Amino acid sequence: MASTSDNSAVGMPQLDFSTFPNQIFWLAIFCIVLFAIVKFFIIPRMEDIFANRRKIIDGNIAKAEEIRLRVDEIEKKIEEELQKAKSQCDEIMNTSGLNIKEQMASALEDSKIATSQLISEAEGRLKELRDGSEIAIEKISEELASDIMKKITGEKQG
Amino acid sequence: MEKQSAFNIHPMDQFIIDPILMGESLEWYSFTNQALWMLISLACISFVFIYGSRKHQLVPGRLQSVAELMYFFIRDMIIDIAGQEGLRYFPYIFTLFILILFGNVLGLLPYSFTYTSHIAITGFLALSVFITVTAIGFIKNGFGFLSLFWISSAPLALRPILLIIEVISYFVRPVSHSIRLAGNMMAGHAVIKVFAGFAGALGLGAVAPIFAITAVYGLEMLVVVIQAYVFTILTCVYLNDALHPGH
Repeated sequence: MASTSDNSAVGMPQLDFSTFPNQIFWLAIFCIVLFAIVKFFIIPRMEDIFANRRKIIDGNIAKAEEIRLRVDEIEKKIEEELQKAKSQCDEIMNTSGLNIKEQMASALEDSKIATSQLISEAEGRLKELRDGSEIAIEKISEELASDIMKKITGEKQG
Repeated sequence: MEKQSAFNIHPMDQFIIDPILMGESLEWYSFTNQALWMLISLACISFVFIYGSRKHQLVPGRLQSVAELMYFFIRDMIIDIAGQEGLRYFPYIFTLFILILFGNVLGLLPYSFTYTSHIAITGFLALSVFITVTAIGFIKNGFGFLSLFWISSAPLALRPILLIIEVISYFVRPVSHSIRLAGNMMAGHAVIKVFAGFAGALGLGAVAPIFAITAVYGLEMLVVVIQAYVFTILTCVYLNDALHPGH
């Protein structure tokens, strides 16, 4: 038997069967109280925390999935827009090429007309000038002839 | 034993059950040092699990993450070993686990009392596990539970021999279950106490035993947790045998 008065163990206190009823009595109380705490406080609380966390994580995953879908959609739209813009660009390039050719042709035409006009104008003026000079030559020659006549006659008279 | 020797070592004194209230003699209802440490461990459990997680934090704080770690550790262990059906018995197994774990860990404090070092305590726990698990086995499977002992995957000639071995090993379970825990607790504490006695007797040379105490203490910190884990995992294994006896 473990002595309780002289504070020294004889053999193993664990094998002192006289303490067993006491130990088991307190252990039973301890177990029941602890089980009640586990059952009514710890488990509901932990499950609550866990469920909350699960809910939020699931919510976040669902939201992420939704956002991903939306991103995919937007990407597709961007791709489409890009395709459209490309084809538009091609069209514009083609049509503008034609336009430029047309414009060049018309410009060439215009310049031709303008040059021919200028040429004819110049010819007209040249003709005018030539006509003017013919008259002047006639006048001069007339004057000259009369001067010569005067001189010839005048010398004879004089 | 009473005579003072050169080495005044009483390594087993720490296990004496002492009535600390209500008189000197030990009656079955006396409040003892053991009951006091059960109460303290109850307080610590409440502190960690109820006070620590009072805020129901989404991102746990220090105490709450400790509580969650233990809780989900045991939960996952039951699912791994005994399957989803085992979760029905989670409250019992978790109670067992924290009872042993806190008893072991608090027992490492100087001047504390380790209630899990007593055969009466661990024997009671192991016997309740044994009886409960056997009852569950028979209730769930009827006499099919006995197929646990009749190993149908073995050759027919070997089965009777295996039957004897299996039956013996089944009934030895509560013994090994309880003695493993109590023995580990007692041995570690006794060793520390013996070294402490050396340290008291050696004067300056006490450096060596104190170093040894430090080392053993570190080892014990590992052992107390592992023993709580072992006790719980064996309970899960026994529970699995009861739920699925057909190997």
